[in-house]
Amino acid sequence: MGRFGGYYSPLIATRTLLLKIPPVEPGTVGPCPVAPDALQGIKRQQTNPARWNGAGWQDFVAALRDAGVELAEGAAARGVYATDAGGTAYGMPHGVVIARSAGQISLLLKAAQTHRVPVTVRGGGLTTEGESVAFGGVLLDMSGMSRVLHIDAAALTVRTESGIYWHSLAEELRRENLDYLSAPLNLTSSVGGTLGVGGIDVNSARLGCSADQALSLQVVTPTGEIVECSDVENPELFQRVILGYGQFGIITEATLRVRPYTPLSMHYYYYSSLRTAIEDLQMLDRNDASDYSGILTIMDCAVNLLVAFDSDEREEAFQANWKSQLRGYGEFGFALCMAGHYALRPWKLREALYLLQRKREVFPEFRRPEYMREGKMHDRTVVFSRAVWKHWGSRQMVIPDLATSADKFIEAVERGNAVCRRFFAHYTLYCVGIKLRPDHRPHYEMSCVPPDAQGWAYGCEFEPMIEGGVYSRDHFQAFKNAIYDIGVDIGASYYRFGGMMKGYIRRVFGDALVDRHLAMKRRADPAMILNRDVIF
Amino acid sequence: MPAFLARAPAAPRDYAACSGCSLCLLVCPMWRGSHDPRLTPEALAKGLQSGATVRELAGPIEACSLCGACDPVCPERIDLSGLVLELRLRLANSSPPQTPQPAVMADLSARLQQAAGAAPAAGVVARSAPVLLPGPDLRADAALLARVQALLGLALFDDDGVDIALALELGVEIPQQRLHGFIDSLRGHTIVAADGLLLRQLRRWLPGSQRMGLGPALSTRAAVRSNLAASDLYVIEPRAFHGDYERMVGYYDRLQRETGCSLSLDLQRIAIPAASSGLAQKLGLAAGDDVQAKWMLKGRTPARIVVEGLADLAAFERVCDLPVVHLAELGEDPQMMQKFRHAFG
Repeated sequence: MGRFGGYYSPLIATRTLLLKIPPVEPGTVGPCPVAPDALQGIKRQQTNPARWNGAGWQDFVAALRDAGVELAEGAAARGVYATDAGGTAYGMPHGVVIARSAGQISLLLKAAQTHRVPVTVRGGGLTTEGESVAFGGVLLDMSGMSRVLHIDAAALTVRTESGIYWHSLAEELRRENLDYLSAPLNLTSSVGGTLGVGGIDVNSARLGCSADQALSLQVVTPTGEIVECSDVENPELFQRVILGYGQFGIITEATLRVRPYTPLSMHYYYYSSLRTAIEDLQMLDRNDASDYSGILTIMDCAVNLLVAFDSDEREEAFQANWKSQLRGYGEFGFALCMAGHYALRPWKLREALYLLQRKREVFPEFRRPEYMREGKMHDRTVVFSRAVWKHWGSRQMVIPDLATSADKFIEAVERGNAVCRRFFAHYTLYCVGIKLRPDHRPHYEMSCVPPDAQGWAYGCEFEPMIEGGVYSRDHFQAFKNAIYDIGVDIGASYYRFGGMMKGYIRRVFGDALVDRHLAMKRRADPAMILNRDVIF
Repeated sequence: MPAFLARAPAAPRDYAACSGCSLCLLVCPMWRGSHDPRLTPEALAKGLQSGATVRELAGPIEACSLCGACDPVCPERIDLSGLVLELRLRLANSSPPQTPQPAVMADLSARLQQAAGAAPAAGVVARSAPVLLPGPDLRADAALLARVQALLGLALFDDDGVDIALALELGVEIPQQRLHGFIDSLRGHTIVAADGLLLRQLRRWLPGSQRMGLGPALSTRAAVRSNLAASDLYVIEPRAFHGDYERMVGYYDRLQRETGCSLSLDLQRIAIPAASSGLAQKLGLAAGDDVQAKWMLKGRTPARIVVEGLADLAAFERVCDLPVVHLAELGEDPQMMQKFRHAFG
């Protein structure tokens, strides 16, 4: 039976039969039509899901109107959401709802279940695989719920609406001389979106992923119930919503752990070998030698290990015990090394010039005097995020990633690096460790945390520099596939396995786990309307 | 004149370059007041990218306060406040006009036409002498204006471009003759302007000229600077600050290090506008709100608020009982008192 997009096509049915591709019911994950060991290195097209056909839209709009839920259908309102940060998936919602309260969202979801209208939830819109792009239906913009509700400075907790951007939360916390524990190095990541997928900071090797700092949540389930959940209250829902990719409910409020604000002492070590830098990174993490650690590279030529501290005591302990074990150079020493390296390889002049240009452009961003006081960096997320958007951002971004256990990480990065070299002239790798919470194992199921990781998981993002270049979607997709194939091969996971990459879900997680989650999803979301096509 | 007055601005880019990073949203007073993503610079750029008409985008075009906070944070260097100015002009000229044109807009058009036809006023200020463009608020406060003049030792410029600044803000077309007459009259002068929007445009119209905002001009004076205290909250005039961000952020950073005062900057080092008013407030069709001024004071307990702009002074006086003073009021040095005795009663 070849029903696609609400109509019957004999041609599609015949082709489906001939190609032996089983039909896929909308809102589910079908078996991958390409075997894991087939078509290695050959472009495999992954596409946006089909646009929802709009059946029953007017009745749904009338129901929302009766319920007092404001829906914007104008071109200007919808056009804002045409794509996400990735800029390769384009869709358009039929209408937009700006989130204002859990009650309003409850009414929306109840109407959506009744009329079977897809609801796509968007926080900061920083997805890259179209996960926050609505291919028809309703786009629910959570940024309308951006209030901080209560700061408990004594208990070091904050209760906030979930649409708030981490930066806006930081602005409020700072007035109390507090800070969040960890959040993506991106000012416009939203709290709710981050808790739904993980969230990685340069302190994640010590404090875990951002999602692990959530103490409790208010969630609107796909059928519109407003439920509070935590490790002790409705723990099953808590487990599924944290790192749940928005499949099991919409987070409307969150209670998070916070901490006293501190500026950072930053140290940079430079390597010409990815392997050595990763070994040093993991050595620091294993020994709890720093408060912040991560690797940021210019291709595989200049590998920067970032090490930072919240306190003088921690910095002194590092200087006394661990610094001498690092094999990286200081900036001057590395410059001398590079000069020698390229003097012996004049045919690599262009690469050397690129490194110089990049250094000249990017380094000052991390040393802007208005963020430095007495040698310490203030507001690291602002510094990093502004630099990232200025020097890495563009209208198109593809950032495939690999998340592995500690012992597989070097292989994953080296193989991914080789793929980057094959596909793009310039690129960046960003590597961090993520400390795992043994008591949160259930949260990690079918998430970016690989099942074989113990103690720490490690993630690497492979980000090509677009630099005004024009690449086809096919080129981007072939690149992502080549990275993700490594993950299948070595038994890794991914941060971005939804949206256009969902073809990998069954291959990486296995049918049994996916089918179990699918059954849970069907029970929670009978009409399969919430964030359709992101995972299921 | 400090060296920071000499650099040319980077070439701005078009709305088509918007990558949707939302950094502009974080600093936007429209957003902070409404939490409505449709009322943001990003919504304008994305709306235009997806083919929305100027009338469909009237909401953010009219609500924008032109504080310019979005300009320096845009990683794509899009001239977002310039875009709003252009769209306001197009919106005002759309048919039928989106906003009912009140008398103030008609009067302004007539004044501009009249000024365009008039001969340039005989100058009383010597060519190349530094001049002060006080703007309407400062001009309306004679005592404060005298104090500013005394501190800066500047002559008032006859034609301070008040009509041009207002036309920019309201989206009223400026006759070329009027504009060129104004620009030509300023050539060769060092300019201190109280109106941040006018100052921003003068950077473009007179790229080689020496210009500065009233705040930096006053706060460089020892008589003023020495009276800034660590317990002060110093409120920066946002338009002038954001219009020349790279230099101003360094300037104010030094000011803060030297005086210890806290600044009205957010964590991105963007000046929070205390008095934020869109087109409706400018036209007197709606009351302004004090969301920004309240936010600036949240969790802060300054002993005194020092403002660069008179509009900010009024906003703080509405929301708190703290002493609020204009920057010029800090500089009561004996020499000035002697010279401008009349201004101090």
